[in-house]
Amino acid sequence: MTALIEVKNLTIQFRTDEGLVTAVDDVSFTIDKGQVMGLVGESGSGKSVTAKALMHLNARNAVYSPESRITLHTENGPVEVLKLKSARDLKIVRGGAISMIFQEPMASFAPAITIGDQMVEQLMLHSDMSKQKAKEISVEMLDRVGISDPARRFSQYAFELSGGMRQRAMIAMALSTKPKLLIADEPTTALDVTIQAQVIDLMKDLVREFHMGIIFITHDLGVIAQTADKVAVKYLGRIVEEGPVREVIRNPKHPYTQGLLAALPKLEDLDAPLTPVAGDIPSPLERPSGCVFHTRCPKIIGDVCKSKLPHHTQVDPTHRVACHLHTEVPA
Amino acid sequence: MALVTLLTVSLIVFTLMELVPGTCAERYLAFKNTQGSQITIADIEAEKKRLGLDRPFPERWGKWVYNVFVHGEFGDSCILRLNINQLLADKFWISLGICMAALILSYAIAVPIGIISASSQSPITNNSLRFVSYLGLALPNFLLALIIMLISTVLFGDSLTGLFSKEYRDAAWSWAKFGDFLSRAWLPVFILGWSATAFALQTVRALMLDEIGKLYVTAAAARGVSGRKLLWRYPAKHSLGPVINSLGFDLNRIFNELPIVALILTLTEAGALLFESLARSNDQQLAGAIIFLLTASIVALNFATDILLALIDPRVRRGLMG
Ligand SMILES: Nc1ncnc2c1ncn2[C@@H]1O[C@H](COP(=O)(O)OP(=O)(O)OP(=O)(O)O)[C@@H](O)[C@H]1O
Ligand code: SF4
Ligand SMILES: [Mg+2]
Repeated sequence: MTALIEVKNLTIQFRTDEGLVTAVDDVSFTIDKGQVMGLVGESGSGKSVTAKALMHLNARNAVYSPESRITLHTENGPVEVLKLKSARDLKIVRGGAISMIFQEPMASFAPAITIGDQMVEQLMLHSDMSKQKAKEISVEMLDRVGISDPARRFSQYAFELSGGMRQRAMIAMALSTKPKLLIADEPTTALDVTIQAQVIDLMKDLVREFHMGIIFITHDLGVIAQTADKVAVKYLGRIVEEGPVREVIRNPKHPYTQGLLAALPKLEDLDAPLTPVAGDIPSPLERPSGCVFHTRCPKIIGDVCKSKLPHHTQVDPTHRVACHLHTEVPA
Repeated sequence: MALVTLLTVSLIVFTLMELVPGTCAERYLAFKNTQGSQITIADIEAEKKRLGLDRPFPERWGKWVYNVFVHGEFGDSCILRLNINQLLADKFWISLGICMAALILSYAIAVPIGIISASSQSPITNNSLRFVSYLGLALPNFLLALIIMLISTVLFGDSLTGLFSKEYRDAAWSWAKFGDFLSRAWLPVFILGWSATAFALQTVRALMLDEIGKLYVTAAAARGVSGRKLLWRYPAKHSLGPVINSLGFDLNRIFNELPIVALILTLTEAGALLFESLARSNDQQLAGAIIFLLTASIVALNFATDILLALIDPRVRRGLMG
């Protein structure tokens, strides 16, 4: 397996009126070619900010720490994403080698421009094909994602399509430039359950066919279990646990991951009450000292959790966790 | 649709005219009375009959509407006893022209500047724009008009008041007169446009900022769209709809400010005439005609903006075509 994108020590803060807010804190991970990584965590844990960083697309008030590095491996050698400046250079990570699907399919299409015009525009930006050719490819892609009557849909507006169809069109658009990495930011939360399943199946097929890497962002560990190879669990901007999906689900090490899993409805026992992770997410302005999870952790050991940041420990070569329960030499 | 609105407006205007205490006949004769004539009850009755005031309300309304819509005829003024159409003559069109020019001027400035400033990160641009638009909002039109008059009187010995130079005031329309008109009309247009621009700038900027924050703009950037294309094709194009929507409202506001500016610059145009007829002489026929014309212009503008909206927004277009 060869690395497609490597993220190292990514730290992102936002300048706000209330001061600096940390959204992503010292995050590192690698995605290989053709690998699907799930990114889970509660709202505000920095999933979207991490994903947008891969396209260097965060808001103007974002501040990246000097140690942060994102390296994309392309046929023409490695690209340092965070060093890209000009719009021309950024195209490689914006719609070129990396595409993104957003949570709300309705809101991600410009309302007064046809689906087709937006698809053609993207294709022509990233290649030197003719308009005619771009149109052919777009209609073909719409057909490929299961949209009936694709030639008609091509000249329609987003508001004329159903929710599921919009998300399919979004997928078609994202894949039309044949990216190496697809970022799917909660691509199914806005859809109802049957359509969700269809869209997930469609994405699984397409990954296999195009051999793409995928980052699949969601709140839902159940969806991750169906789709991903590996999973990273985020809490307050930090990755608290990462490993192969089966391993993490069967054998969760971090108290937060355990809490998320306990919150999943069980098929065998549908009457059991749901037990969401107890407690409130701390305000981003009051980041807990030590282990960021200590204000809610049911297994808190003592002062060490409140004062000392737990480092990542490999519980096996592919599975790591950041918790003092698993630090080799507890301080 | 526009026609129904107009009919409704005419009904409201006509009812208002009726609600003014006293009838046209009484008013005229009372006016005569103050001039020294002896008036009897019989005179009033006779006058009422002559004016058709003894007829029932719906009939009189129908007649009024018929005359206005079919002949463009507003009848006679109560007090001045002159035909209203002759009385207003070009005045209404001149003031409408001035207001429209001020409206166009303000948006011609506000749209590009508002769009660019909303996307600009430079604090200098933003703060100077903010300063200028506060100035526009805070400095009342009448003060601005006075200042300009003062300056021009001191510098050029001409107060720039009135819409025509002396030699053209009573002349018939000609190219020379029109030229003279233009050389003076820029001042009220500028003064009215001043605060209208400040308003429009704020509207455009707010709408643009709103659009820029939307997900589809981020999504377009994520596809590699950048620079001018990302600004004009995406948020700018989409913020145009609400901007057009606000045009009718703005014209209304400019109309409201016209009388004050007109008073200071001693322009003899409709706005001032309206005030005069309402306040001094209770001339309901004349006032009704002016109010109706103003409302009709705004209804017409709204109709035009609806068509424009349908042209640029596919949602409106498809909505119209079913
Ligand atoms: N432009 C910004 N300015 C200030 N703070 C920001 C900005 N963008 C994001 N944040 C903050 O960063 C944190 C992480 O946000 P992010 O959108 O990545 O969360 P998320 O994990 O994607 O949550 P969700 O599941 O709700 O989408 C939040 O606290 C958010 O308020
Ligand atoms: S370090 Fe302590 S507080 Fe944090 S998760 Fe582990 S046990 Fe809980
Ligand atoms: Mg998110």
